[in-house]
Amino acid sequence: MVDEKAGRFPDPHEIEFPPELEGWEEMYPSHYLFSKEREGWEKSQFWYQDKIHDPEPMPPLDLIFHEAWQISLAQYTTRVFCIPPAQGIAQRMVGPYMYICAINPPPDEVMGEKAQLFEKRVFYVFEHYNEIWDKWIIKFKALGEEMKAVEIPHELPKFVPEDQVLPAPTGCYVSHDMKEAFDILVNQMFKGWQYHFEMLNLTYLAYLMFGDVCRKLFPGISESAIGKMVAGAYVSMFRPEEELCRLSRLAVSSRGVADILKSDMAVDQKIAELDKIPDGKHWLEEYDKAKDPWFYVSCGSGWFHYEGSWLSKPDIPYSYIQSYIERLENGETIERSLDKIEKERDEIVAKYRELIESDEDRKAFDDAYKTVRTIYVFAEDHLFWVEHWFHTIWFDKIREFGTLLVNTGMLNEVDDIFMFNRYEVPEILTEVATAWALGVDVPLRSDYYQAKADKRKKILEAAREWTPTPALGVPPEEVAEPFTIMLWGITTDKVKEWLKGMGEVSTEDVSELKGFASSAGVAEGPARVLKRLGEIMDLQPGEIMVCPNTNPSWAPVFGKIKAAVTDIGGLTCHAAIVCREYGLPSVTGTGFATSVIKTGDIIKVDGETGVVTIVERAG
Amino acid sequence: MDYILDFELLDKTSLPMAGGKNASLGEMIKSGIRVPPGFAVTTDSYLNFITETGIKDKIYEILSHLQSDDVDALNKASAEIQGLINSTSMNNEVQWAIESGYSQLCKKCNVKQVPVAVRSSATAEDLPTASFAGQQDTYLWVVGTDNIINSVRKCWASLYTPRAIDYRNRNDFPHEKVLISVGVQKMVNSRAAGVMFTLNPTNGDPSKVVIEGSWGLGETVVSGSVNPDKFVVDKVVMETSERTVSVKHIQCVHDPKGGEVIDVDVEEDMQSRCCLEDQEIKELVKIAKGIETHYGRAMDIEWAIDMDFSFPENMFIVQARPETVWSQRKKGPLLGKKSGYQLLMDQAMKRIKIPG
Repeated sequence: MVDEKAGRFPDPHEIEFPPELEGWEEMYPSHYLFSKEREGWEKSQFWYQDKIHDPEPMPPLDLIFHEAWQISLAQYTTRVFCIPPAQGIAQRMVGPYMYICAINPPPDEVMGEKAQLFEKRVFYVFEHYNEIWDKWIIKFKALGEEMKAVEIPHELPKFVPEDQVLPAPTGCYVSHDMKEAFDILVNQMFKGWQYHFEMLNLTYLAYLMFGDVCRKLFPGISESAIGKMVAGAYVSMFRPEEELCRLSRLAVSSRGVADILKSDMAVDQKIAELDKIPDGKHWLEEYDKAKDPWFYVSCGSGWFHYEGSWLSKPDIPYSYIQSYIERLENGETIERSLDKIEKERDEIVAKYRELIESDEDRKAFDDAYKTVRTIYVFAEDHLFWVEHWFHTIWFDKIREFGTLLVNTGMLNEVDDIFMFNRYEVPEILTEVATAWALGVDVPLRSDYYQAKADKRKKILEAAREWTPTPALGVPPEEVAEPFTIMLWGITTDKVKEWLKGMGEVSTEDVSELKGFASSAGVAEGPARVLKRLGEIMDLQPGEIMVCPNTNPSWAPVFGKIKAAVTDIGGLTCHAAIVCREYGLPSVTGTGFATSVIKTGDIIKVDGETGVVTIVERAG
Repeated sequence: MDYILDFELLDKTSLPMAGGKNASLGEMIKSGIRVPPGFAVTTDSYLNFITETGIKDKIYEILSHLQSDDVDALNKASAEIQGLINSTSMNNEVQWAIESGYSQLCKKCNVKQVPVAVRSSATAEDLPTASFAGQQDTYLWVVGTDNIINSVRKCWASLYTPRAIDYRNRNDFPHEKVLISVGVQKMVNSRAAGVMFTLNPTNGDPSKVVIEGSWGLGETVVSGSVNPDKFVVDKVVMETSERTVSVKHIQCVHDPKGGEVIDVDVEEDMQSRCCLEDQEIKELVKIAKGIETHYGRAMDIEWAIDMDFSFPENMFIVQARPETVWSQRKKGPLLGKKSGYQLLMDQAMKRIKIPG
């Protein structure tokens, strides 16, 4: 695995895989594999593991989101708004892990053409942001509702129902409808992801512009200070948590409700008990009101089917409510003041503004700030609607297909459908439709598909134990792609750190990691490494959370921890923002904290220098 | 008659009585900038001294005979007057005032015989000749009332250097109108000291406070005889972007025996230790920001931490002067008068160098 030559990572075409991963290639569409046909081009690019979106082995059907964003993110940069030197972000699978690269800039003449289009198209969006957003949210919600309305049969009828034949035959029946329904879902998902990037690229571009303005005025200004000026509260992403706070307060002020919610009963039992008393009934009604859309929030990032949502895993919101009730009874405040966050941000901006020496510069600063703030709310608001609400609807719909395939005997478990990519599912559905149409006692190749699902589950499980190289190919000297630095936090330093991590140094010998100083403060304490999203519940109060990255449904966890360290993420990643709000130190984008640090190690997190020190290894 | 006035009672209206230097210390205190405590020996003291002791008439008598361009006579007159001032015993009122001022200061500092600096502080009428009026007259590490009184007299005598006399004669400025005040200020019993700037002197970044410090008195930092510890702190978000702790082999301390400041070795376990606590760094940044606001410009500041007081009362400013390098550089607008959209266009055209 390790390339001995300094300054470079392995050639993507010469990677060796552990034998347990044998056969991984067939899980993904063939254009996702490094290939002989594109070898020269692939070698000329720098690929790094996308730990933000794919920190865990990729189930084949979950790749659909990535397929969708690969097209959409790039298209806005290259063909819609035409950011002159920037091209898209390409994806490849290396085993069950995804790698991405910011493609090298286009030829000069193309940049020239793009520049003209950019000016005309982009400024319009800034001028009309509010109305574009108003339309965006309406059409996005409509798309989600359309997806919810797609009808999926849970089993196939012995005979087509009478009303579909007489008196007016529909002329097309379940054998077609179910295949069409799947295609509709796929198309809706791709469309949703087209909408996702409608303004996001410009948001990030504006952020980088403002960062540059700040650095010209204040050469030594830190990235985190810039982040503090631009980023506000993820208003819609905070709503699920706010709803929990509201429900917790309601429980405390109702008769008998808090005691039931605090008990050790299972969620089903709690609901049954609540349903027996008037205040409990009322509380349950309020809970149901909050569900759509707010409890569509994923328990993870929204990128994996198995993460579940607060809808499918109610024990998560119920356990948060339980701890909120306890905190309320101790006289603590559980709500976070978004107004306070905004006020602090405005104060920081005002203070830097005062330090500007000339009136002309102050004017340009004001204008640059207005430009970035106008559009930055998009970065803050789209996330809940796309990655959480919309993805949760999709997963639920796909599970209905899973149910159909289990009921027809094709698969063993509902979730096994996620073991097949989006090109394979229609094939399975076609086989089911064919067999149904052919009549009774027509055999299905259930064994073939069930064996495939089992084998793939084993590959994904085995891949968890495999730590692939953080990057492939030759690192570039510069990038022109706004997402790369902003979101993934890829910098030369980062790449050097990765190279260091790749050498002969074993992870036990590393005692210090560098990342982004993304939230000020210093904390020392025991580490809790959360590699899998399901491990959140293990976290103990006062521990320092070490994880690949975080996302909004983890929000209540931040009330418990002392500090946070992530593998991936820049200054505006979720962990950085929430830590700043909670006043917790954080270092993000360390590259490999989750593999170097072990649960129980005593670590020191310095959110001012971006250094994480392992003070003492766990015994 | 106020023969002495505590610095805390002074402000810019005190200039005629306390002189420019003392008045500006009072102004600093008023605006929340902590300076070592002390008091002004006012112009009334000086007037009372020369009047009560009867030397006033003698002085003006000597001066009235001076011919311009007679350098020898000028030097002679100067020596005669200065001798007169320095050899005449202090009259009781003034002596008693200085004694009581000093004993109060010792009490305040909780030190039996606190070493002080005695400095002349020129008054408004004398401002044009400030540089000739013995403004440079400073006596450091002065201990005890007798020594202080001697130093005060020397400061008074500095009104009559040959150059000062000559300047007033040439400009027809009546000698009678020229008065002088003296400041008596605690010497900082310095645990650590250094300098700080309200902008980053390496790149002119106005959002930073840069602090340099070392053990003992600030001389080692000012003269560059040690590599100081260095801190770069953001004024707004208060992040420390740079923190360099150097090996500090020597420190400058006051030697009570020789009465001078000398360089001594720093104990080994202290050499690599940071000379400032985090809370002290934060406090210095706060002070620097206050001084910059007070003067309305970038400043170059000397600070010291006094072992006779506890935090934060121990954080003293011993000198503050305008920063000259970046402040004098004529700067055009850094952003080239661009609109937000133009800036966005520039950004879009750029290939972003990976920072680092």
